[in-house]
Amino acid sequence: MSRVGKSKEAEIKRINKELANIRSKFKGDKALDGYSKKKYVCKLLFIFLLGHDIDFGHMEAVNLLSSNKYTEKQIGYLFISVLVNSNSELIRLINNAIKNDLASRNPIFMCLALHCIANVGSREMAEAFASEIPKILVAGDTMDSVKQSAALCLLRLYKTSPDLVPMGEWTSRVVHLLNDQHLGVVTAATSLITCLSKKNPDEFKTCVSLAVSRLSRIVSSASTDLQDYTYYFVPAPWLSVKLLRLLQCYPPPEDTAVKGRLIECMETILNKAQEPPKSKKVQHSNAKNAILFEAISLIIHYDSEPNLLVRACNQLGQFLQHRETNLRYLALESMCLLAGSEFSHEAVKTHIETVINALKTERDVSVRQRAADLLYAMCDRTNAPQIVAEMLSYLETADYSIREEIVLKVAILAEKYAVDYTWYVDTILNLIRIAGDYVSEEVWYRVIQIVINRDDVQGYAAKTVFEALQAPACHENMVKVGGYILGEFGNLIAGDPRSSPLVQFNLLHSKFHLCSVPTRALLLSSYIKFVNLFPETKTTIQDVLRSDSQLRNSDVELQQRAVEYLKLSSIASTDVLATVLEEMPPFPERESSILAKLKKKKGPGTVTDMEEGKKEQTEVNGGVEPAVNASTVSTPSPSADLLGLKSAPAGGGSLLVDVFSDAVPATGALAPGSEDNFSRSLDLPGESPASLLVDATLGADTVTTVPAAGSEDPALPVPDADDLLNKFVCKNNGVLFENQLLQIGIKSEYRQNLGRMYLFFGNKTSVQFLNFTLNVSCPGELQNELNIQAKPVEPIVEGGAQVQQVINIECLSDFTEAPLLNIQFRYGGTVQNITLKLPITVNKFFQPTEMASEDFFQRWKQLSSPQQEAQKIFKANHPMDTEVTKAKLIGFGSALLQDVDPNRDNFVGAGVIHTKSIQVGCLLRLEPNSQAQMYRLTLRTSKEAVSKRLCALLSQQF
Amino acid sequence: MIKAILIFNNHGKPRLSKFYERYSEDTQQQIIRETFHLVSKRDENVCNFLEGGMLIGGADNKLIYRHYATLYFVFCVDSSESELGILDLIQVFVETLDKCFENVCELDLIFHVDKVHNILAEMVMGGMVLETNMNEIVTQIDAQNKMEKSEAPTGSKQYHPTRGQCLQLPAPPPRLRKKPRSLTLWCQPLIASSKCTYRH
Repeated sequence: MSRVGKSKEAEIKRINKELANIRSKFKGDKALDGYSKKKYVCKLLFIFLLGHDIDFGHMEAVNLLSSNKYTEKQIGYLFISVLVNSNSELIRLINNAIKNDLASRNPIFMCLALHCIANVGSREMAEAFASEIPKILVAGDTMDSVKQSAALCLLRLYKTSPDLVPMGEWTSRVVHLLNDQHLGVVTAATSLITCLSKKNPDEFKTCVSLAVSRLSRIVSSASTDLQDYTYYFVPAPWLSVKLLRLLQCYPPPEDTAVKGRLIECMETILNKAQEPPKSKKVQHSNAKNAILFEAISLIIHYDSEPNLLVRACNQLGQFLQHRETNLRYLALESMCLLAGSEFSHEAVKTHIETVINALKTERDVSVRQRAADLLYAMCDRTNAPQIVAEMLSYLETADYSIREEIVLKVAILAEKYAVDYTWYVDTILNLIRIAGDYVSEEVWYRVIQIVINRDDVQGYAAKTVFEALQAPACHENMVKVGGYILGEFGNLIAGDPRSSPLVQFNLLHSKFHLCSVPTRALLLSSYIKFVNLFPETKTTIQDVLRSDSQLRNSDVELQQRAVEYLKLSSIASTDVLATVLEEMPPFPERESSILAKLKKKKGPGTVTDMEEGKKEQTEVNGGVEPAVNASTVSTPSPSADLLGLKSAPAGGGSLLVDVFSDAVPATGALAPGSEDNFSRSLDLPGESPASLLVDATLGADTVTTVPAAGSEDPALPVPDADDLLNKFVCKNNGVLFENQLLQIGIKSEYRQNLGRMYLFFGNKTSVQFLNFTLNVSCPGELQNELNIQAKPVEPIVEGGAQVQQVINIECLSDFTEAPLLNIQFRYGGTVQNITLKLPITVNKFFQPTEMASEDFFQRWKQLSSPQQEAQKIFKANHPMDTEVTKAKLIGFGSALLQDVDPNRDNFVGAGVIHTKSIQVGCLLRLEPNSQAQMYRLTLRTSKEAVSKRLCALLSQQF
Repeated sequence: MIKAILIFNNHGKPRLSKFYERYSEDTQQQIIRETFHLVSKRDENVCNFLEGGMLIGGADNKLIYRHYATLYFVFCVDSSESELGILDLIQVFVETLDKCFENVCELDLIFHVDKVHNILAEMVMGGMVLETNMNEIVTQIDAQNKMEKSEAPTGSKQYHPTRGQCLQLPAPPPRLRKKPRSLTLWCQPLIASSKCTYRH
């Protein structure tokens, strides 16, 4: 196929022709013979494999099911298990055919039917067959091959619909399948029991002794005993692995005889690993080691046999230096688990040099990642400095894909095992220096929290950040930490003339212009703190605040800070200043949010286990954790922010809140009189910064939590409202929302600054919706930016019916928020209340503009001031496919310009956003980096808010 | 549990896809592309395991793969499977294909979609390992072939898709009993010799 299709187009053409041919054959008058049917169904399968939709042939496939010929039946089942959706209407017909085949007593037909059930595994099939299959499984006269299939079929149904599989008398008979003659049946039964016993451990308890005796028979058999189930001289490796997995569902056997037998098995397996191989083939060692690794997992799971644990550790230690990469990988992975056991932790630690070496020299990133995991797991007080240092040095060359994770790990270890906090501060600052881009907010929040809470380290921290900031190029995160720490504790180093207040200030201010808005906002707060700490810097700082670039800054947040801080510094008395700008109070202790982040990143299972293992171990060793330790109690709160900030990503507003709202409660000891004085002194003539402050504080909350002014009791937008919004940025039609009751479809069209949107509300139930009311609202500023008219709808929606609402939209000026759609209705006895964001985004009012390369670059240069540009670098969330990207950019609304960018991989686009008041010209450029799986998106428009909004919208799409 | 079994060639063209969990057709194609992207950029003789792509469940799932001549065989599995066990299962699968097709090569997978599915169905069912004994599998497949022969109506064409039947391609390279080894890459046997070794 690929050879025929030289290009994508040719391939599609060829396939469409073939599909038309097959369709005409199916639809034709002449009945097709079985062979032809089979041939065409095969072709459809192949076409489907290549990624083309197949929308016919299902009926023909269903007809093949009832054929008496095996070959036709087989191809019918194949088609259905590959192509039929589980909720297909044909399912009843299919079920019927399956029922007949199950009852046919022809083992081959029965197997085909069981395969089909297992592969489709839908709920309808479970409903139809879940009670039937256990009977087939345990019937005395069932053939082995059917038993095998029935066991796995039941397993699949239990996984998809556990409620439909009745437990009963058959369960005890299933356990006895572990004694079956046929090893294929035993393998299938073991899989089934492993799954069932996870949820019903008591019901299947007896399987433990049966599994042990089966395992022991296999392990002690000679390599030829099991004939066909011997794989490259290893007897029944898959079954052994499955049995060892099954045993991991239970605690160690209580019966001493059984336990003794099992331990004997494990020892035999460990001994065999030391014997010379029976074959040089890699398959032989793979099979042998598959069993060995599973046995080690079981030993770790029991965690009660010190002798075996240490042997396991030594065995893994050998594998760490094995020439097979796979074995090194698996050994590192298993050792992570061993490190958590009190018996083997010390033994694992002896391999530290090997693991560090693996981190440095392994060629494969998968293996390096496991090595980093293991170093993290084996870290304790004794080796923390070494491990942290190694990880730090590895960071300089680490793969991009794992840098962020390593940063988190270093940050956690440095904090957890910090004996003296100067080491901790050094480590984190190094971290920022080496891998600044990968240091997430949580990490630098945490270092500030710790410095504020421990006064023995504050002076050192101030000195260190001061030195770090002297580097000609330092990362913005360093500036943030530096600004914050000097603002709080700069006085501790001000005695040294080399770091006098003015020197400190000038150093900070030299970075100011290179920083982003949130960092500048933070620096402004540091400056006002300087005014309090060092009165001698007051005039210099006031000059800075007074300059046009601050007082007239186009960023509202920066401007507001400059205005307020300037007033504060010139009007408030030193007492008031000292009170308002007092040092931050200690933070309450809480779980490190870095840990929460790592957990989130690695999935809940892995890290928690490791941490719990650690906890036990430290208790045993009697180790005393440092006072400021990350609590190991897991209360994952991914959004827990350390500084008590409202988690506003822009950080602007909330940083302002933090300086004031956190500082003011800290002065709880104020006398009532002085409090009076305090508020009066802020009560300024003219502009009222006090009230502005209040606005800023409240503003952050109110905007997000009170979405719809006007409606009395608005439901909050559904949590994924923003995802829904993102879904429609590049397209106009689709399903906006769906739950059990209601489906909302959307169709929309836009021209210039006008749009029309059709909303379709489908009642999915058979019951009427009463008092069905829709309310479209524009929160806040949006009222002045969009004009929306919605036509009223009928208050009753019949069961199964659909109502339509038409909304006319006029865009008055550019906007960022989305209008809200509130839906209320009564279903049964309860009132349903749903609030969604309507997917009306500013890019809908795009008109594409074609232009030549020269024009483009000329305009690009014209829009070069920093406010006009918005840029974002982000990871690809979807595969980086050029065609898909093009389609998305066109859907976004801009023209896609060919041959403009000298780099052909890049995409550039241009367009004009039409609003009633203004038209905004927009240029965009998207640069994919497929190696790093990243994009850089740059938008330049004549209006800052538009650049930012478009950038935010479009960056969610890839 | 095995979530998906994918076979694609060195250029990312899918040659077999079998999903044991429901994914929409679009997602299936995206998963194939994503997986190809992850696997194909890896060097030879690095390890055969890596974390799954985002679409198929990220780090909770592993991709276990082997590269034979022009084809990648990738199994996507969750944590309940033994990595080395699956690696051996891939080997059994390929050896079985080799027995059934005599020196299996990429073309066999193109022209016998149904056969490959049937062989796989004898080994894996609903995402669980059904049978690992190669002789047993081959016996089943032989029995199927016999039934197929006995059912073919006399006088009508024998089902032999290699003769330009599938998709009516311009005649593929002639290949009956003995496959030419050097004609195109497509005819390159997956297993270099009958000794069933693979590089590592």
